[in-house]
Amino acid sequence: MDAQDLSIAAMGAALRSHDVTAEQLARDALARVAARDPALHAFVLVTETRALDDARHADQELRAGRDRGPMHGIPYALKDIYDTARIRTTCHSKLRIDHVPDQDSVVAAKLREAGGVLLGKLATHEFAIGGPSFDLPFPPARNPWNTEHVTGGSSSGSGTAVAARMVRMAMGSDTGGSIRGPAAWCGLVGIKPTYGRVSRRGVFPLSWTLDHCGPLTRSVEDAAISLQVLAGHDPQDAASADVPVPDFRAGLERGVGRLRIGVPRAFFATASAATPEVLEAIDRTIALLRDAGAGVEDVQLPDYALFAAAGRVIMAPESFAIHEADMQTRLMDYGEITANRFVLGAAVTAVDYINALRARRELTEAVNAALGRYDALLTASALATAPRFDAPVDSLSSTSPMQTIPFNVTGHPAMSVPVGLAPNGLPLSVQIVGRPFDEAMVFRIGRAVEQITGWEAVKLPIFAA
Amino acid sequence: MQRSNAEVAEMPAAPSPETLTAELEILLARNGIKVPDMRRDAVMAAYADLRQQIALLHGRYGAAAEPSNVFRLSPTESQGGAT
Repeated sequence: MDAQDLSIAAMGAALRSHDVTAEQLARDALARVAARDPALHAFVLVTETRALDDARHADQELRAGRDRGPMHGIPYALKDIYDTARIRTTCHSKLRIDHVPDQDSVVAAKLREAGGVLLGKLATHEFAIGGPSFDLPFPPARNPWNTEHVTGGSSSGSGTAVAARMVRMAMGSDTGGSIRGPAAWCGLVGIKPTYGRVSRRGVFPLSWTLDHCGPLTRSVEDAAISLQVLAGHDPQDAASADVPVPDFRAGLERGVGRLRIGVPRAFFATASAATPEVLEAIDRTIALLRDAGAGVEDVQLPDYALFAAAGRVIMAPESFAIHEADMQTRLMDYGEITANRFVLGAAVTAVDYINALRARRELTEAVNAALGRYDALLTASALATAPRFDAPVDSLSSTSPMQTIPFNVTGHPAMSVPVGLAPNGLPLSVQIVGRPFDEAMVFRIGRAVEQITGWEAVKLPIFAA
Repeated sequence: MQRSNAEVAEMPAAPSPETLTAELEILLARNGIKVPDMRRDAVMAAYADLRQQIALLHGRYGAAAEPSNVFRLSPTESQGGAT
């Protein structure tokens, strides 16, 4: 089997049994990037020297009996909004094209401390919002399932790099769905952890109260392993929660027997952007979960439109506040999509913003109440498969095909899991939502979903073979 | 949490195009933003969509409905820097 088809756990076992070295894994991954990325554009910077240094160090430590845990010797990559010490971090923007941070972001530092092997920095929609765009310093990442189609965003390169089998794990960020969207459209697992679970320090903000950090991976187990490394309290991140971090893998194989899962069907069933294949995929997944012993029933939540409105009305002024000075003086240095989205923040009044925060309280309480009756919720991630580059959609508009933003508003953990392929050959997915800080339950249900839907047997695209 | 209709301060969900344009121009000018003419139509269309979403959130809440950023201090908060 190809090394990059081994799970993170299996790679780790091979490293520890000396069937492979971290340097071999890194060289294999670098060769894959060199061969495929010219057509896919996942990477804005390949850190080959750093990767080989990390890998040799990981090998030396394993030989010396120092084992840093499951990410030890595993190649990964970072969305280019994560600060990396002495490595350029551009936000995919002309405005930060020469920016070289002095320090690692907390996530980068944790992955380094865990023995991970940094392969490079990944494409993103500019400042995690503006794309896919062709007027930026780097081209947009392309979807390995069909390169005429977008990856979703904003963690576009993260989706591409994992789906093209360059790395098993790539970090994304999620302010309105930027982890779960690319995961849904690239056939990956993408978890937005609970707000406060992973430190955001050293990650360029888009919208402080909506921003989350999390991984995109090939499997639920890989996601659980990754989050184990990333999670934890950071007293220097104002949003960081001082709560225990459980063993995310402990309950992975417990199945869904006797679990209760609520389905906010009104979110997606009558949405104008919903496609028949997505609705069928959700219903098929629900039927399989019932067959596996779960109690699945419809649940009523407030109108989806309220969640979407609250999210957008919060995001617009928060992001504008971050970019105000540059928008006033360097507007034309932003990509057109980015600038057109950011300027709208100037058009949101204080009362609009406060009403959105009142809605956030109401909506969070409603989701919490539903999760008092159910172990988790299951809904759509995306209402359609990935669109073509020549038929783009606005993921922030009221008619967006992404249904991810409600859980940025409420902060609940939410994960996109692939469940099959549509007739057009592109991935379909569902979204699982858990109680605050109960990512373990989200992983448990997600693990069952990837098993019962047969996703584990789905081969990645020929292009990526 | 929600107010009765008699107390609701509504905002029109679909103002005229002229009103929308005037609103946006004032708000952008107040914030020192100059949108190039070639981008105005796209920004205006996005604003019209956002404006409908903003309208959804108006008139829903009475005085007792507090926003999510109302916060609680813990007694140990001010001791963080003391060593």
